[in-house]
Amino acid sequence: MKGLLREHKVYGTVEKDGFPAFAEIFEVDDLKLSETPTHLSAKEFLFPQREVLLKFNMRTSTHVPVIEAEKQVLIGLHPCDIKGMGLMDRVFSHGVSDPNYLARREQTIVVGTDCVPDEYCFCSSLGTDKVEDGFDIFLHRISRGFLVRTSTDRGAELLSRLADSREPTVRELKELEERGAQRERAFKAKINGAPEDLPAIYAKSDESPVWEKIGAICYGCGACNNVCPTCYCFDVKDEVRPNLVEGERVRTWDGCTLEDFAKVAGEHNFRKSRAERLRHRFNRKFRYLAGTFDSLFCVGCGRCSRTCLVKINIVDVTNELIRESHRR
Amino acid sequence: MDSPYLPFLGMVERSMRLSEKERFFAVVPSSEALLAYRPGQFFMVGLPGYGEAPISITSAPGDTRIELCVRAVGNLTNALHKLRKGDRMWLRGPFGRGFATNEMEGRDIVFVAGGIGIVPMRSLVKAVLAERERFGRLTLIYGARTPEEMLFTEEMDNWRRRGLDVQLTVDKAEARWKGNTGVVTTLIPKVSIKEKETLGVIIGPPVMYRFVILSLKALGLGAEDIYMSLERRMKCGVGKCGHCQINSVYVCQCGPVFKLSELGGLPEAI
Ligand SMILES: Cc1cc2nc3c(=O)[nH]c(=O)nc-3n(C[C@H](O)[C@H](O)[C@H](O)COP(=O)(O)OP(=O)(O)OC[C@H]3O[C@@H](n4cnc5c(N)ncnc54)[C@H](O)[C@@H]3O)c2cc1C
Ligand code: SF4
Ligand code: SF4
Ligand code: FES
Repeated sequence: MKGLLREHKVYGTVEKDGFPAFAEIFEVDDLKLSETPTHLSAKEFLFPQREVLLKFNMRTSTHVPVIEAEKQVLIGLHPCDIKGMGLMDRVFSHGVSDPNYLARREQTIVVGTDCVPDEYCFCSSLGTDKVEDGFDIFLHRISRGFLVRTSTDRGAELLSRLADSREPTVRELKELEERGAQRERAFKAKINGAPEDLPAIYAKSDESPVWEKIGAICYGCGACNNVCPTCYCFDVKDEVRPNLVEGERVRTWDGCTLEDFAKVAGEHNFRKSRAERLRHRFNRKFRYLAGTFDSLFCVGCGRCSRTCLVKINIVDVTNELIRESHRR
Repeated sequence: MDSPYLPFLGMVERSMRLSEKERFFAVVPSSEALLAYRPGQFFMVGLPGYGEAPISITSAPGDTRIELCVRAVGNLTNALHKLRKGDRMWLRGPFGRGFATNEMEGRDIVFVAGGIGIVPMRSLVKAVLAERERFGRLTLIYGARTPEEMLFTEEMDNWRRRGLDVQLTVDKAEARWKGNTGVVTTLIPKVSIKEKETLGVIIGPPVMYRFVILSLKALGLGAEDIYMSLERRMKCGVGKCGHCQINSVYVCQCGPVFKLSELGGLPEAI
């Protein structure tokens, strides 16, 4: 840990007002590896909430690209977070690739750790509760220290250089297995269907009354978009300095649940109602992107449900659509 | 790695007022690569400090200038209106999938444009007229709110001479107006159409599509025979920002030009 802090910027989970949250780690003691999910995902370290794309000068009409990427380590990502990051990697390298994201990803070492589900977690229903890759190092907590896995050369190199390790004993491996079984039993939220059936179930649900029901209570606040590890829509804006000559073109997170998201000239809005906007968000997670990426775009972290002020719950909504599909 | 967010410079060679709200620009791009476009494609046009917006190309492939026509509706577009000869703007693109004119060869074509839909339509019309002999009967139906808002009318006599039947209509007529009054759909039934040989192309404001499609279908055109260009909000042009999405499809990548037959399963399209 000390070695990492010397060589990199380190971000990890800390305790903030009694809740786990990601923050910069300055000393070894700052890090509080958390078993329960953070309210915000770790996406901000690769896809910042606000990011400069280029700097410009209005007088000379000149501009330079900005790609800010420093060596960093992210510690404490849970399997769903790592799966979510894997999806972001694919999005930003698909088609025309995004150099800002990819440069930052390149410079990032990911240290995962295992977790215990809370009432909102449903990764076990989506098969995103375990990871084999997508991290450099993974820490499994046991009663005396950690069992450590690496999945990249970079991870293996770091581990051998900065930490003392030995092969695990049979008893330690047994303990890990027991903890795994315990965790599996702890899941309360479950989707009552197979993940591979969800795109088809959503495809048939455009007319479902569920959308009007949740649309009627949704605030359109965009919090569900902000906390989601796989929401990546953005807005682009120019910010001019007070000298009125220099400025920056920045991109910021945007959310499809916000009212103006699909508005065009003449005040025409292609998704006027909150019901339509929520339907769009859920369809992006379970249907629309599945065609391109051959994967659901929800990793079951439960963050959107955990955060929603009016308790719109992604598992309940999905289960209701599954129930409706049986009735038909 | 090249950044797709990095714009190229374009120098305004000509800036001309077309109407109260619309201004025309001929732009010399700093890179020739920008001139390799198809009708129906667009650029993200920007000004430092004002941002970017999608703007259709109105010139035709082969032109040595990029021609644009901008309606002043907001922050950026009003700033663009201040540009004069010698000023610079920023361009990213060309983006999107344009019209495949080779697919249209040998067919009769009815072009239906509403409002500033004539801007991208002009690019297509010019491309088709440049190879006039490859196409059948050509008709343009163009509607604007008032005669003053009609764009490119001075070019239309030339288009007529080259074999395009131009039919104009306005929503609100004035004493001087000699042409048709009423929305574009009032002119469509008057076009005589050979079934299976005719294609329709629609570009206009969102409200127009549903009605024009119905009229074209009434003439016997099928979903395979109707092309249209759709408008959505755009921020990136490269399939990332999500603003232009229609159900599962990104307009900046798969559009803005679609065949009606491709829009089945996309209830948000029109
Ligand atoms: C493929 C495509 C081609 C277009 N071609 C042309 C063209 O050739 N000429 C032309 O004048 N306009 C064209 N537009 C519309 C043009 O992009 C918008 O008018 C422009 O974005 C407004 O920018 P603004 O900063 O001046 O206005 P803003 O201050 O951003 O807003 C003014 C109004 O424009 C709407 N608007 C904002 N952004 C967009 C957007 N990206 N798309 C549509 N509406 C938006 C707002 O909802 C508001 O009603 C095209 C749009 C698309 C999607
Ligand atoms: S967090 Fe809840 S209230 Fe806010 S936009 Fe999302 S669903 Fe609506
Ligand atoms: S949609 Fe909700 S549960 Fe799924 S990954 Fe996003 S925040 Fe997590
Ligand atoms: S304009 Fe950004 S995704 Fe199409």
